[in-house]
Amino acid sequence: MTTDIGARRISPGWRKTAGAFLRVDVIEEINYPLTLVMQLLGIIVPLIPFFFISELVGNSRTTGGDYFTFTVIGLALTAALTGAMSGFGSSLQRAFQRGTMEVFLVEPVPWTILPLAMNQWTLMFGGLSGLLIFGVGWLMGATFVVSGIPVAILIAVLGIISSTAIGICSAAILLLTLKSAPLIRLYSLAASLLAGSIFSVSQLPDWARYISYALPHTYVINATRTALMDDPGTFEMSTTTAIIALSIFNVVFLAGGFYMFRKALELSRKMGTLGGY
Amino acid sequence: MSTSQKHASIVVSDLVKVYDPSPRWMSFLVRSNLKHSVTAVSGISFEVEPGEICVVLGPNGAGKTTTFRVLVGLTTPTSGSATVMGYNADKEALSVRKMVGWMPADQRALLMRHSVNENLRFHGQLQGMERDEMDRAIDETLELVGLDGWGTSTCFALSTGMKARLQLARALLHRPSVLILDEPTGAVDPVASHELVQLIREIVSERQIAALISSHRLEEIETLHSRVLLLDEGRVRYDGDLNALREKYAGPRLTIEFRTTASAAEAGLALKTAGVGVITHLGATGIVCELNPDITHSNVLRVLQDQTEDIVSLQESETPLHAILANVYKDKQGGQE
Repeated sequence: MTTDIGARRISPGWRKTAGAFLRVDVIEEINYPLTLVMQLLGIIVPLIPFFFISELVGNSRTTGGDYFTFTVIGLALTAALTGAMSGFGSSLQRAFQRGTMEVFLVEPVPWTILPLAMNQWTLMFGGLSGLLIFGVGWLMGATFVVSGIPVAILIAVLGIISSTAIGICSAAILLLTLKSAPLIRLYSLAASLLAGSIFSVSQLPDWARYISYALPHTYVINATRTALMDDPGTFEMSTTTAIIALSIFNVVFLAGGFYMFRKALELSRKMGTLGGY
Repeated sequence: MSTSQKHASIVVSDLVKVYDPSPRWMSFLVRSNLKHSVTAVSGISFEVEPGEICVVLGPNGAGKTTTFRVLVGLTTPTSGSATVMGYNADKEALSVRKMVGWMPADQRALLMRHSVNENLRFHGQLQGMERDEMDRAIDETLELVGLDGWGTSTCFALSTGMKARLQLARALLHRPSVLILDEPTGAVDPVASHELVQLIREIVSERQIAALISSHRLEEIETLHSRVLLLDEGRVRYDGDLNALREKYAGPRLTIEFRTTASAAEAGLALKTAGVGVITHLGATGIVCELNPDITHSNVLRVLQDQTEDIVSLQESETPLHAILANVYKDKQGGQE
């Protein structure tokens, strides 16, 4: 009992903090095996109706003549981007509701690390879901241009960073409201309608297409199609354009996200609502 | 760093916390019921030395939790300051949180689906502990709080008392210099609560930790033999030890048992008429009088001189703590001691 354990130690740093939160989340997930299996099934099963729809619509010019591959790319990237975007907010809300947030905040960890540390599992699960959709899609007959894979990975990573940054902006609002994530709901709605995950952006009216350019999802999904499909259809997004646009989005959204989060923390501390629910 | 800060582990100076309504633009996001500013803490000052337990008492809304939350950096002071081990709780919160073992009132603050060991491991990692050091500390701390052998048990399966011990273990794991325990025995049964309080007392004494504890259980405060800080409406009503509090706010009580109900009633009336405070009628035949320097045993007996034959017994006792506290809260003009 009297062993001297030094109380004056340095802060845990990013690696230990990330490891601690990831370990807690993984243990939590494997505690509910059936839920995990059903989540994975829920990711794969939607491919089946799209497989039959692609048989039905055949070789539509707008989707490059291979609607199934077109949709597999759209669904896989949407899963990965949604995971990156919603992870921190959902972890934050869960911690508020369970009463653990206050304890997290009293640990000697810079609060600005939390958006990334608490987002890891959902980010990884989203990425895994995307890969699973690609894999199952490939087994079901989707075809990809192998030489385009490196560029596709780069675009996906840039897209995931953008989505994470949007998630941080949303979490900043969540920190103040302690419930719901209106920004993510709004963005997800816009992305599902305008980013072209299951139909071509070229089918949208002009005004809607202009709005779609404001969404990182549009660049990620359509530039990946350009990289991985022989014919990406009538809305061909240049990979170079996407990389530049996503890089700009990342700088703006990351800076904005962390600024908003910091300000929300300051306001929440002042209002005395931090950690409570 | 001031002279007092060199000695005291916790220093709170003229701390004020006013909760303002949310900014107007936030009404688009969330509706708030707070329409006017509320002063939760109104210029309180106190210090806690190493090895000292300071029990913070007060009715709901007295400012206890706000003070604790300021000390761990969860909320900002409106004015004044709070320092822990010389670090400013507002500006140097990260350093403060390395020094503090925090036990919130909410038992849900544990990771319920995780084992006892995992709960401590998570905290140890975030405290920057190395693996070997952490493993050793987990074993030692579980033994210390009486949870050795429970390391692999899932948290939700523990009893309420054991969960409280686990929360205490988490607060102690990294060997903090300061313990801040917000109602540590809140939901714990009286026997387990007594054991937990004794344990806290021993640990604080052995490790020379400065401990700030809030509690509603008066028997615990007596068990702790600690310093008492009475808060009410955000102000310090009393700061000192329990004996001094008794001396200031409570004289001894005299319990008198009579032969008959009629003689007890008659005595009660006579005492009231003579200006003696009759606190309670004990059943039908007993009365309790509060004594003070102006009203002594002799005064009481003089009033009852015609009834001495009806008196069965006479016993002096201490005023219960709840009655003392009620007196302090009534004495609004008393201000800070």
